[in-house]
Amino acid sequence: MNIRRSHPQHKDSGAALLLAIGTVMMIGVISASLASAATSSLQNRTSIEALRNREYAADGAIEQAITSLRGSAPFLLDCTAASGSMHGNDFTLVNGVAMRVDWVNTCSQVSGYNQRNVMFSACLDTPSPPCASANVIIRAQVNFEPAKGPATKTFVQSWSVNR
Amino acid sequence: MNRARRDVGETLLEIVFTIVIISVTITALVSSMATAATAGTAQRRSVQLDVAIRNYAEAVKAGAQSCVDGGFYAVNIPNQAGFSFSGASATGNPCRSPTAPPTVLTLTVIGPSGSHASMQLAVRTP
Repeated sequence: MNIRRSHPQHKDSGAALLLAIGTVMMIGVISASLASAATSSLQNRTSIEALRNREYAADGAIEQAITSLRGSAPFLLDCTAASGSMHGNDFTLVNGVAMRVDWVNTCSQVSGYNQRNVMFSACLDTPSPPCASANVIIRAQVNFEPAKGPATKTFVQSWSVNR
Repeated sequence: MNRARRDVGETLLEIVFTIVIISVTITALVSSMATAATAGTAQRRSVQLDVAIRNYAEAVKAGAQSCVDGGFYAVNIPNQAGFSFSGASATGNPCRSPTAPPTVLTLTVIGPSGSHASMQLAVRTP
């Protein structure tokens, strides 16, 4: 049987190259997105560590502020509902992160007993103090007992991690 | 020369070029996939370590809440297979005076793959 081989049609010439270029572009886009995903993963890893260090630095800064406030001169005064609020700040370095803690002392009376509650706000120690509400990393309310003189016991009433 | 004679070999050249180009791009694709897989593994390990060290830190803080001046506190160390924890032991951690500055502990967690995470934690006597 005589089989006649046909030559490629002229209109098909270059089709393979076009297909190759199309494939190259498609694979290029896929490679670029994979590379982007890999870079993103590595950046996430760094930010996870930074976030953790910052959060526990804020945590440690408030612990430090509670301790330094305990028995300090303002706390030797009687804390009654008529007392004005007092405020101050404290600075620490934990996990290599410089932190600032602002505190406000509020005196009130509950069921006939004077209460000394202090609200602590920890934020990064940036050049523009004080801790703005939007920059607070941890906010904690701590009750100091007794309401007059050096505190013998502290009770954490709230401890919220904001960012 | 007729058209058929002039076209001889063109398809072969196109195919050779196509194979070369596709080989290069597939190599790049496989390389990218390998990098993405490595990065994904590193990310997963990092997150696992983060969870482990946070669990450990919270366990230490919870333990220190029971502190009394001059006493000792215990830590309920997380039970995470393959991870080792150091910086605060399960028992016998000393409590400081309530008026003394907080104790700054350096906690370290080593994961199953040998990767590790470390951070400082401040604890005090309530």
